[in-house]
Amino acid sequence: MAGHRLPEFGRGKAVSLRCEGQPLRAYAGESVAVALYAGGDGVLSRSLKYHRPRSFFCLEGHCGACLMRIDGVPNLRACMEPCAEGITVEGQNAYPSPDMDVLGAVDWLFPEGMNHHTLMTGSRLLNQVVSKVVRQLSGLGTLPDRSVQDTVRCEEIEVDVLVVGAGPAGLAAAEAAAAAGARTLMCDEQDRPGGSLLADPRHGAAEADRRAEAARRAGADARARTTAIGYYPEDGGALLLAGPERLARASARRVVYATGGYAQNLVFANNDRPGVMAARAVGRLLVQFGVAPAERVCLVVGKHADPEPAAALGAALGRAGCEVVMIDERRETIVGARGRVWVTALEVASGDGRVRRIPCNLVAVAAPPSPASEAARQHGCAVELRPAAGGFAVVVDEDGHTSAGGVLACGDVCGATTVERAAAAGARAGRTAAAEALAEAR
Amino acid sequence: MSKGKVIVCRCEDVTLKDVRHSIALGYADIEEVKRYTGFGTGPCQGKECHGLIAAIIAEESGRDPAGIEPFTSRSPISPTPLRILAGAGFDDGDEDEAYDGEEGP
Repeated sequence: MAGHRLPEFGRGKAVSLRCEGQPLRAYAGESVAVALYAGGDGVLSRSLKYHRPRSFFCLEGHCGACLMRIDGVPNLRACMEPCAEGITVEGQNAYPSPDMDVLGAVDWLFPEGMNHHTLMTGSRLLNQVVSKVVRQLSGLGTLPDRSVQDTVRCEEIEVDVLVVGAGPAGLAAAEAAAAAGARTLMCDEQDRPGGSLLADPRHGAAEADRRAEAARRAGADARARTTAIGYYPEDGGALLLAGPERLARASARRVVYATGGYAQNLVFANNDRPGVMAARAVGRLLVQFGVAPAERVCLVVGKHADPEPAAALGAALGRAGCEVVMIDERRETIVGARGRVWVTALEVASGDGRVRRIPCNLVAVAAPPSPASEAARQHGCAVELRPAAGGFAVVVDEDGHTSAGGVLACGDVCGATTVERAAAAGARAGRTAAAEALAEAR
Repeated sequence: MSKGKVIVCRCEDVTLKDVRHSIALGYADIEEVKRYTGFGTGPCQGKECHGLIAAIIAEESGRDPAGIEPFTSRSPISPTPLRILAGAGFDDGDEDEAYDGEEGP
């Protein structure tokens, strides 16, 4: 893997973590996953059934592949936990360590997979014994070191327009809604606004900050590390917003979902090998965190992916000193990733069926992000399965109205789109939401 | 094909073969495939696999994607410690509805 921090990149204060008992250098502003990666620790944990090695895929809190035990608390997403002085970090679901897990043998013993519906069903007694053993081998983490007593108070929030998500679409929507005079709140689950801008070498952190500042100057309130975790229709309807130390019940005259999309993988053998990462995660490592991700990168552009940001990422990786091999899934077929624990090569078949093996220590996959439509779906918005647009996209009209009253949506949650189109749709949805909310308030 | 599993749901280690097997058995609806294979029931709750497996179901069964419904989205949408949720005060409802230790209907 051999990722390393770029020397000229501006970083926060240096801190020291304890990782599996060893000190690990990190910087404020980095997540635990980023610090581990930059420090050369690739494999973070093991999967729960076959004990396959796991490392982060998305680096955005969505893929569930970087769960670790941090300060004695199991199953935390290492990509969402900020580095702080003295915190302890341990891998989980592995013995003796995630790199070298003896239970990984399960994966080899069942090369064709293990069907739990038919496993040892012949004898009831044997089945019970096997179930007991399997329970010891599988499962996620072990209980926390100590019980927690403190809870947080639930805050009540009432605004005209609530914008969920602060990527290109959400920032434009919040700016437009606030500029039109609506009391506007935008929230985002990451620790800083910007969404996909922070992973895109054509834009980057400076552009994300500029857009976030424009929304704040227009009067929009912003909350980072705040996730909409559910919609509850009772009492006029409210979204529950949760963060590390906060909980809020937010009601709004208009809700704008700008939740974006989740990084998607492509379908090939060993596509879960550590080192196979979303192109957006690789972009985040480079653009947001100043980490050159690997010496040799295979950048796979999926058949439905937008080739433009992928090409920009490839060029930026080249500038950072990485050797980049671009693979276009429209012309070639990905056969599989190789490597016992970390990826060491990618096998690719050309049109005539010939397979070539490309040595690499990172595979970046670009695919359309899958619309993050859960909250919108709970809120009653109709969605449509559009495989080329990443998954279940929220159906909207020209102004961003969804099928649910008082609910709008914009950006990738309505199907994968470009940064420019997302921002334009966000501005339209924000203006519309503000006009309707203010008319209703009168 | 190359050797090695094709993982379509990373959290639960569900393979492409598992999904095809489920469809071949007749469990071809998205909720049925979810129940048979366990896809979408792990820490990510389908964020990575939902759209992909829905597309596989459409392709394998020759159905129009527009006719395929997503599985129900449940709260919390994102991993949330219970201690944070405990402050929500959602338990001030009807006394009669309170859990009495008996199995539900």
